Amino acid sequence: MRVKLLYHTDLGAIKRVLSQKGVPFDPDAMMDHVVYMFEIEDCSRVTTHQLVRHRAVSYDQESQRFSAATREGVVTPPSVQSNEVGFRAYDESLKVVYSAYEKMVAAGVPKEDARYILPSAIKTKLVMTLNARSLMHLVWQRTALQAQWEIRELASTLHRLAQESTPELWTKIIER
Amino acid sequence: MRRCYSTKPIEDIEAELEQKGSEYWKYLLTKAMQDKSLDVLEHFVMTVSVDGAAPDDVGLIARTFPYLRVTHLGATDWLVTLNARTLVELWRDPRGRLFAEATVSELSQRGVCPVFNELAFGVKVGAS
Repeated sequence: MRVKLLYHTDLGAIKRVLSQKGVPFDPDAMMDHVVYMFEIEDCSRVTTHQLVRHRAVSYDQESQRFSAATREGVVTPPSVQSNEVGFRAYDESLKVVYSAYEKMVAAGVPKEDARYILPSAIKTKLVMTLNARSLMHLVWQRTALQAQWEIRELASTLHRLAQESTPELWTKIIER
Repeated sequence: MRRCYSTKPIEDIEAELEQKGSEYWKYLLTKAMQDKSLDVLEHFVMTVSVDGAAPDDVGLIARTFPYLRVTHLGATDWLVTLNARTLVELWRDPRGRLFAEATVSELSQRGVCPVFNELAFGVKVGAS
């Protein structure tokens, strides 16, 4: 999985406005105004199904109507990788599915219809934009031990990138 | 928008956008507006400082447009964060038009996203 922070609000600019108005910097109040835009590549659709349950976030995800799927583009969970029988079953079923997909597309079935057969393991990419309040909620929920490994990895990365880009906001909130 | 319809890696898409320049941006934005695919505009977010706005007026737009975030800075001063889609919706709604016009004017004066301002709001590029 690759995660890139494409944009974040300039916290310094907001602080300058507050200073001009004589308003003290309150990290909690500013969480609605500080926004992050991330690009996420090579995570599974299993994870993006979980991700889109978080509201007040803008998502734009790779369209399977237009882009073709490939056998190489799937995520294999560690529990499957480390299980010989499980991995064989996983791999064999993917071969069958992708072979059917390719046959359908070659026969003229539109990609938007052939995709019905594709697995949730397929890799996808998306752009997501959200404010610090929504991100904090996502991080709080999805870094919990009960969360699944892939979204936990994603949430941890989002948290790290946000904290690196706007340390003052996150540090002050965590201190509380 | 471009990212969702291509299997190319990020770097290739960014290089392509860079190479094709503003005319390509114009094409993509025009298509988004024509197709009413305004979701792509949600990724462009701006924060504006609003002075001299009555609480009732700000309250009305904050209640009407739920994706607008408002913080009271005292008296009639506010910090408002919104995305470009909400700005378009404000522009098209009589209740939000005044605020939208003031925001677009500010963007234009600062030379922010001139291509978008021209396409969405008819602001001529280079106009003051």
